[in-house]
Amino acid sequence: MTRDEVLRPLAGRRGRAVVVTTMGTVRPWARLSDHPFDFASADSAMGHAADFALGVALAQPQRKVVCLNGDGSMLMSLGTLVTIVASGAANLVLFVLQNDTYELTGNQAIPGAGRVDFPAMARAAGFPRVHAFEDAGAYAAALPSILEGAGPVFVTVRVQPGAEGPLGRGPGESAAYLRPSLAESARLLKRALAGGQ
Amino acid sequence: MIHAELVLEELRRQRVTDVLGVPDNASKALLDLLAAEPAIRLLTVTREGEAFAIASGLWVGGRTPVVLIQNTGLLEAGDALRGTAMRMRVPLVCLVTVRGHARMAARGLRSSAEALDAELLGRPDLDSVALLTEPTLRAWGVPWEVLATDADVPRLAAAFRRGREGEQPLAVLITSDTVAP
Repeated sequence: MTRDEVLRPLAGRRGRAVVVTTMGTVRPWARLSDHPFDFASADSAMGHAADFALGVALAQPQRKVVCLNGDGSMLMSLGTLVTIVASGAANLVLFVLQNDTYELTGNQAIPGAGRVDFPAMARAAGFPRVHAFEDAGAYAAALPSILEGAGPVFVTVRVQPGAEGPLGRGPGESAAYLRPSLAESARLLKRALAGGQ
Repeated sequence: MIHAELVLEELRRQRVTDVLGVPDNASKALLDLLAAEPAIRLLTVTREGEAFAIASGLWVGGRTPVVLIQNTGLLEAGDALRGTAMRMRVPLVCLVTVRGHARMAARGLRSSAEALDAELLGRPDLDSVALLTEPTLRAWGVPWEVLATDADVPRLAAAFRRGREGEQPLAVLITSDTVAP
């Protein structure tokens, strides 16, 4: 699947959900969405986007929180899968966009490329709902049910490697929420959530 | 020693909503109280770096989290602290129990005062993590307060105040075991 085939249907259905992106998904998502509830875990700490999203989900249990993680990022903090389930965050939907590479550094292979089984890991960690997709049509058809109901939900989507570079956080970025510093971006999201938009 | 209920009382006064961390012996008495405290959610994580990122998300979502870890875990979590709570300028108090402090102090050594080298850090009668804790916090730009006895517990309130005023994470080094009432 292309990344666009994953992100475009999600952008059309995210509603008032918080969407946390990281690494190679930051700019592709920002080309589709520039929303007060979008947050880029970039220029931040590698491998901790899912942890950050979990924190938001625990703080805002009435709101859906979607994390668009990468496979390399997920491998950096596999224990997070266990923590998510143990926390009981029923409103968290954790995507892993699996392209088997570290895209931002030049598409070097991740450890276990072609063999690592993220859905099996998620099941072993105790995720009650686990999905895996390699076909755009099946993914688009399942997306509404993925975003509904209690989770936490884990979704692996096989995507083609891209050529995204690191985020600049400045006037050159297309989406408004990508331009401020990480600190200011966090405060913008905090204010938006406090406003209950 | 520090009576755990005094620490818990201050956490209540500060309206702390969540405590995230990894257990150790020095924090056991406090963790036992937190496990029975209905107003504070206690979440054990698998590695300390998770705690800083989750806490940052909790703060963005409107909660008041605290991190509770050992100094060994603090060193492990360096980039997570740097890239989340520090880079996001989250007013986050991190309670850090200081493994090795008693042995270091018994030998007349102080974490901030020693010249660190392989010989000192390799000494079998010392726990090197105690020597590294304060220099590491200084290098990372994280201020700290020290709690050694019950009389120091007001410094916990000062840590919350400094964190809010400076919009930044702040460590509270707990250099003796917490104990039950």
